[in-house]
Amino acid sequence: MIGPDIAGIAGQLVAAADRGVAIGQLAAETGLDVDAAYAVQAELVRRRLDRGEQLVGLKMGLTSRAKMAQVGVDEVIWGRLTDRMRVADGGTVSVGDFIHPRVEPEVAFLLDRQPEPGEPVAEFATAVRAVAPAIELIDSRYANFSFSLPDVIADNTSAGAFVVGPWCSVPEGLDNLGVLLEIDGQVTQVGSTAAILGDPRRAFDEGVRLAGQHGVRLHAGWVFLAGAATAAVALRPGAHVRAVVEKLGTASLRAAA
Amino acid sequence: MTVDYETAARELIEARESGKPCPPLRGRLIPDEDIDSAYLVQQAQVRQWLRRGHRRVGAKIGLTSAAVQASLGVYQPDFGVLTEAMAVPDGVEVPCGRLLQPRVEAEIAFVLGADLPDERITTADLIRAVDHLLPAIEIVDSRIAGWDIAIVDTIADNASSGLFVLGTTPRRLADVDLRLAGMVLEQAGEPVSVGAAAACLGNPLHALAWLARTLARSADPLRAGDVVLSGALGPLVPVTPGAAYEARISGLGSVRTCFAKEVEE
Repeated sequence: MIGPDIAGIAGQLVAAADRGVAIGQLAAETGLDVDAAYAVQAELVRRRLDRGEQLVGLKMGLTSRAKMAQVGVDEVIWGRLTDRMRVADGGTVSVGDFIHPRVEPEVAFLLDRQPEPGEPVAEFATAVRAVAPAIELIDSRYANFSFSLPDVIADNTSAGAFVVGPWCSVPEGLDNLGVLLEIDGQVTQVGSTAAILGDPRRAFDEGVRLAGQHGVRLHAGWVFLAGAATAAVALRPGAHVRAVVEKLGTASLRAAA
Repeated sequence: MTVDYETAARELIEARESGKPCPPLRGRLIPDEDIDSAYLVQQAQVRQWLRRGHRRVGAKIGLTSAAVQASLGVYQPDFGVLTEAMAVPDGVEVPCGRLLQPRVEAEIAFVLGADLPDERITTADLIRAVDHLLPAIEIVDSRIAGWDIAIVDTIADNASSGLFVLGTTPRRLADVDLRLAGMVLEQAGEPVSVGAAAACLGNPLHALAWLARTLARSADPLRAGDVVLSGALGPLVPVTPGAAYEARISGLGSVRTCFAKEVEE
């Protein structure tokens, strides 16, 4: 039996991102399962690296019960971050560079060393040098943000862009920091880091473990986006977006008008 | 429509005591938008409780989240009265038979150290008047069948009050970030509701200010010793019989409640 066309699917997703035009779901018709979907993701990210981009970290997806229920799964997923996706804190993005961008507040970890796959939470503090408030801009390459689990994995878990605020030392508790998403100074989403698998450190553990299953190790200096603390909000041209995290501070971006 | 406050109050008290909910009061016993009459129905119930020897220990603020206000089409909070009979100790099992259709939500309890008789107050006055804070779980309930409530239904029904649980370690205002404090409500270790203090009118002190001003215009202003429940810091959760819930609020600690397995007949 011939497996799904990994390179072909990756090509379609890369083209959708390059053109800024959504495509239909691919997994069902191509028989893409979760493992093959991660192979597609690896291939499409490899194409970005061939263009000169650098891998700078990992991101987690589906880390909230609400999102898992929405997609009908009970497992988290991970994607890859490149330097091209990073936007300076307070920087500007162009909505036109994306298909239908949404923003969500997160927390980011800065890796101090390469964590071992399966390393327990107890070792967390020694693998992470710093933590920061962050904004993730997600942008599904699928029409209407509508996808199956293999679809979203193949699409690099909807990665679009990200902003990391000022790094600070890891506070005593990370499991219940209040999180706000402000658009133009108005609070539009209210949540807590507890929405991230109960504790963002668990998302870190899961990320190390799941990426390890696919032969991917995290490196010192990498950024780890732990997952969204609230629902995502559509990014409008001209909007000023700020994530505010208790004890950590803020990260912001602006969408060009 | 002439509102018969006592009849409406009696219907709600009967529903509370029998455990059998009543149909909505709006359009039947209270005109749709008649908020003043709804509060008079609430007061008639409270008078009845006080006549039976119960003590007013504070107040609860409701309709403090943007989502709940939008769902009811109202853009102001409401309030109900707390009596000592509604208080349940931290972690002590609640018999389900005491409640009709309970839901739980995590809140901040303000305990006042001074009277607030004047509606001309600032944030500074409130900060001086708050003696300490406690984490709280409010067990809200509705005497209206199926929670089919409009604004006048919930106000008449004492702002859908049920029971409340206070934590036992007092904290100062300075210990808590009243805008950013994270909240998680867990059932068996799983977060079932998450939020932050800002979900309550942007800052729970705003809710307290609204209540203090509102009650300063009434015969019963807030007094030293009163407990004020701020309003929810996140979405409310329908109670599962037999379940235990723990609310944790950043800077405030935690508080627990649990429910009996079987609904008493």
